Amino acid sequence: MIRLRRITKFFGRNQVLKDIDLTVEKGEVVVILGPSGSGKTTLLRCINYLEKPNAGEVAIGELAVDCKRPSKKDIQALRRKTAMVFQHYNLFKHKTALENVMEGLVVVRKLAKEEARERSVRVLEKVGLGDKLDAYPSQLSGGQQQRVGIARALALEPEAILFDEPTSALDPERVGEVLEVIRNIAKEGITMIVVTHEMGFARDVANRVVFMDGGVIVEEGDPKIIFSRPKEERTRQFLKRITPEANYSI
Amino acid sequence: MPGAKFDIAYLFDYFPKLLSTLNVTLTIVSLSILFGLGVGFLVALPRLYKIPVLRRLSEVYVSFFRGTPILIQLFLIYYGLPEMLKLVHIDVTRTPVLVFVVLTYSLHAGAFISEMIRAGVTAVDRGQAEAAYSVGMNGYQTFTRIVLPQALAISLPVFANLVIATLKDTSLAFTLGVMEMTGKADTLITLGQHYIETYIDLAIIYFVISFALERLFRLLERRLLRHERRERTAGKRFGRNVPSLRGLLAESAGVPKGGAGG
Amino acid sequence: MKLDPAFIWTAFVKLLSAVPTTLFITVVSVAAGFLLGTAIALFRIYKVPVLGPLSAGYVTFIRGTPMLVHLLLIYYGLPAVIDGVSAAFGWSFRSVSIPYVVFALIAFTITASAYLSEVVRSGLLSVSSGQLEAAYSVGMTTPQAIRRIVFPQAFAASIPNLSNSFIGMLHGSTLAFTVSVVEINAKAQIVASTNWKYFEAYIAAAVIFWGLTVLIERLAGVLERKINIYNRGGVA
Repeated sequence: MIRLRRITKFFGRNQVLKDIDLTVEKGEVVVILGPSGSGKTTLLRCINYLEKPNAGEVAIGELAVDCKRPSKKDIQALRRKTAMVFQHYNLFKHKTALENVMEGLVVVRKLAKEEARERSVRVLEKVGLGDKLDAYPSQLSGGQQQRVGIARALALEPEAILFDEPTSALDPERVGEVLEVIRNIAKEGITMIVVTHEMGFARDVANRVVFMDGGVIVEEGDPKIIFSRPKEERTRQFLKRITPEANYSI
Repeated sequence: MPGAKFDIAYLFDYFPKLLSTLNVTLTIVSLSILFGLGVGFLVALPRLYKIPVLRRLSEVYVSFFRGTPILIQLFLIYYGLPEMLKLVHIDVTRTPVLVFVVLTYSLHAGAFISEMIRAGVTAVDRGQAEAAYSVGMNGYQTFTRIVLPQALAISLPVFANLVIATLKDTSLAFTLGVMEMTGKADTLITLGQHYIETYIDLAIIYFVISFALERLFRLLERRLLRHERRERTAGKRFGRNVPSLRGLLAESAGVPKGGAGG
Repeated sequence: MKLDPAFIWTAFVKLLSAVPTTLFITVVSVAAGFLLGTAIALFRIYKVPVLGPLSAGYVTFIRGTPMLVHLLLIYYGLPAVIDGVSAAFGWSFRSVSIPYVVFALIAFTITASAYLSEVVRSGLLSVSSGQLEAAYSVGMTTPQAIRRIVFPQAFAASIPNLSNSFIGMLHGSTLAFTVSVVEINAKAQIVASTNWKYFEAYIAAAVIFWGLTVLIERLAGVLERKINIYNRGGVA
């Protein structure tokens, strides 16, 4: 279980997160929606401390970290309980697909090389890249790179996987293959928090949708309800702008 | 200008004589680069980690050693260091000149190496470090396993240039009377007045070593950057696809309006 | 012997008289080297038969040998060639009448040309072929495209390298003392030879070179910013 309490974040004088509370239960798939600049990516990055919140508390399972004075050990521990899939994949450029997945297992989780390799191969096969083990990131398509990124996160068997707009940098025809992989993982009951613009995906896969705007959570709830009968005007406006049916006028 | 008549026999005669001092030259180069790497890391770290005060000192150090000719640095340290050390009652009048030479070249190379490291580290995408943190690595692991290897691969061509530049700079050590290759050439000339033969030999030796070093580093670079192969060939540039460029130039010559061509 | 701060100032003032010589050698060899280097770069980019490979060999050789060796080879080799040719044709001209500084200029131009040809080449290569195609697509002729599109972009991209080469040649000009040209370094030796205050004299020399270098870097920085603003306005 992940519990965020009163998370506050400033960039300079600009407050991007205002007292955010959010709880994600074990096995839940939560999709965070919102216009750009709404703070959704920042919120996600606060969970594993890639962004340092100015105040609040991040808790994962038993571990609760006060954002006012986190120790290095606490930050490390938060990161070991989570894994992240990045918008721009961020695969280690000097390592092969297999090495990318093994790296965290060997260096951080201290698995024996053989065991790490076995697990990595298994996970890469699961994302459909069993034949690309020795390819370097530069030799893979965007979709393939992102699937390696997902495998890297999955192999760590974290308590939750954080997805930061995993399909935004992809060519349109590559989006499907990546969403398919994420969809399959979701079925396995892994806790996931996903920041995305893919409305169809949110509707089908999410257990809960969180809509953010202006650094606050405007509305959250069952996707069926949010998409069909949003309570808040801001949510309605956003959905109107972003859903394909509304775009014919352009 | 004085000098004996050109005699090709001396080209062959002097060759082994000059080569006999090659080890001195190579010793200066390797020691200087080795110590220079140490100095370079020490000088780069305060700037990479933005440590106040030390960072300023690093900047001044780099600016000075990059901003003055190595020949001046050589004289400064040769004449200045003994006097400075005399103030703390250390006598270095019997210290071999070679020590001063290696010290100067190390400090000089250190400034360039620190810039190289800084540029290399900055060139590594921030996302690489973030990804390392996201799988749970600590700062040290992230730096040594992810950032540094990539930074070194990026820096290798700069490093190769630096090693070759140091090799060429060793020719200045003769001004302090060090018996490296150029110093040896000086003595040969005093003895035989065969200026041109000696300097041609000298040029050939320096060239062969530089050339070999360059090839060696290129091989190494290809190995280290094997993960980048596709990206590197993908860049279509003004001259790299000369045939099509020439095609364009030729095509437009006949047709003033021109077209985008093939 | 103790450090004599007053003499640093004395030396500094005396050394200033040698600054014009140093700058003259540097500017002339960089300017001439740039012209020669551009020709060499173009031979290589356009793969001109014979001249192309020859240029490549020239650049590799010059870059693979110390600047000092270029200077000494020219200083001792060129007079022999000139006198030989002169004698063969029965001319009265002899190399003795050539001032020392000319040999330094020729040698340094050769050095600079090899390094600058690489600067020009990488500058031109940094302009994408799409730029040329775009210039043609709006109807420009080749000279127009090269002059208005390729050169400005290549120049903007080359400023840091040009500045580095210039500084390299400035520092390299200290070698001219070996052929009796009185630039800053030689002057420092002369100034110090009377009272053996070499350390003080070289501190003064270092300060002058440091100042000149920082000045060149600043100027290059200003130029680069100016040109990049122009580029941003014109392209994006």
